[in-house]
Amino acid sequence: MKGYEVISSLQDHIGENDLIVSSNGNISREVYHYLAKPQVYLRGSMGLPIGVGLGLAVMNPEKRVTVITGDGNLLMGFGSVITAAYYKPHNLKILILDNSQYFTTGGQQTVSSVINFSKFLESLNIDYFQSLKASQSILNDNLENFLTTKGLNILHLIIEEGKKELANIPWHPIRIAENFLQRFD
Amino acid sequence: MINLDEFVSFIEDNFDLVSGVPCSYFKEFLSYIASQEDKSTIKHLSATREDEAIAIATGAALSKKQPLVYMQNSGLGNIGDALTSLVQLYKLPILILMSYRGLKEDNDFPEHSIMGKINNSFLGSLNLVYWDLNEKDWEVSIQKAITVMDEQSSPVVLMVKKGVLSQ
Ligand SMILES: Cc1ncc(C[n+]2csc(CCOP(=O)(O)OP(=O)(O)O)c2C)c(N)n1
Ligand SMILES: [Mg+2]
Repeated sequence: MKGYEVISSLQDHIGENDLIVSSNGNISREVYHYLAKPQVYLRGSMGLPIGVGLGLAVMNPEKRVTVITGDGNLLMGFGSVITAAYYKPHNLKILILDNSQYFTTGGQQTVSSVINFSKFLESLNIDYFQSLKASQSILNDNLENFLTTKGLNILHLIIEEGKKELANIPWHPIRIAENFLQRFD
Repeated sequence: MINLDEFVSFIEDNFDLVSGVPCSYFKEFLSYIASQEDKSTIKHLSATREDEAIAIATGAALSKKQPLVYMQNSGLGNIGDALTSLVQLYKLPILILMSYRGLKEDNDFPEHSIMGKINNSFLGSLNLVYWDLNEKDWEVSIQKAITVMDEQSSPVVLMVKKGVLSQ
């Protein structure tokens, strides 16, 4: 299963109360095209999506914050998983889409495959974690729990490389921020 | 040193979240914040890197909350992309307290010597506006920073020298 298929499966689960932060490159583009707008589409700041989600989550305990991050982004800001796990905001969900690649820049291999995610996530003592290979039945069985279990939840999904041809995000980042900020009027 | 009762109560009145990586120049300030943890209206999150602190602050700013970041100027080397491709690109108001290491009194700390020399040109090339957090008229310098930050919807840096927020 490909990353955009996982992202489009989130459609049915995401509502008014959901704030999404997506990591740069292909993932932000897919989140822009497949999920309700506006969300926080990171264009750059590789390595920082979890930090942004953490700040949103602790400041907005009544909202549900979901970070959708690639493995390259995860690795670049790895300390942020630890920070998130330490503070354990009850409303933060982290979805790792792991294709073992910097897919956006041409599919160069990352080093993510050396991590035993089940053991690593278990060691964080968080409220929910799974490390699975993405498929429709896996999503049917796990997405709801991942999103609705109270606590800091991390779902690591192995995905296949590949994308749909999608247009670039048409909003300048200033507009992304303005539109997102309006949700807090 | 600035009176910490007054300083922290000003911070509590004007900010919702504090995050950063410590410097000994913030020692007393940070232990005061830690001692207030339970009763304080302000959330404090310790960060693993300065760019993570900027990211956490960004999350706050994107939901109309006011963040404050503290870091050593060595951390300036860690936040270039977080500023240029996030905070400045999305135009977010974030106040940064930055300790000014590498001045005369840091003669015995060669690790700060090079950044100390290029501190201002580094800040300048990032188009950051900055001035000192003065011990005497600290409230004026921070109030001015808040005004500029809000007017320009941009980050502002207050440089913190030895003895201003620590003994
Ligand atoms: C600091 C920095 N270094 C490098 C890049 C170039 N870059 C953009 S996207 C990307 C890959 C991100 O990988 P991952 O998070 O795994 O997402 P994927 O592309 O695999 O979906 C890279 C290296 C960048 N934007 N910023
Ligand atoms: Mg990847």
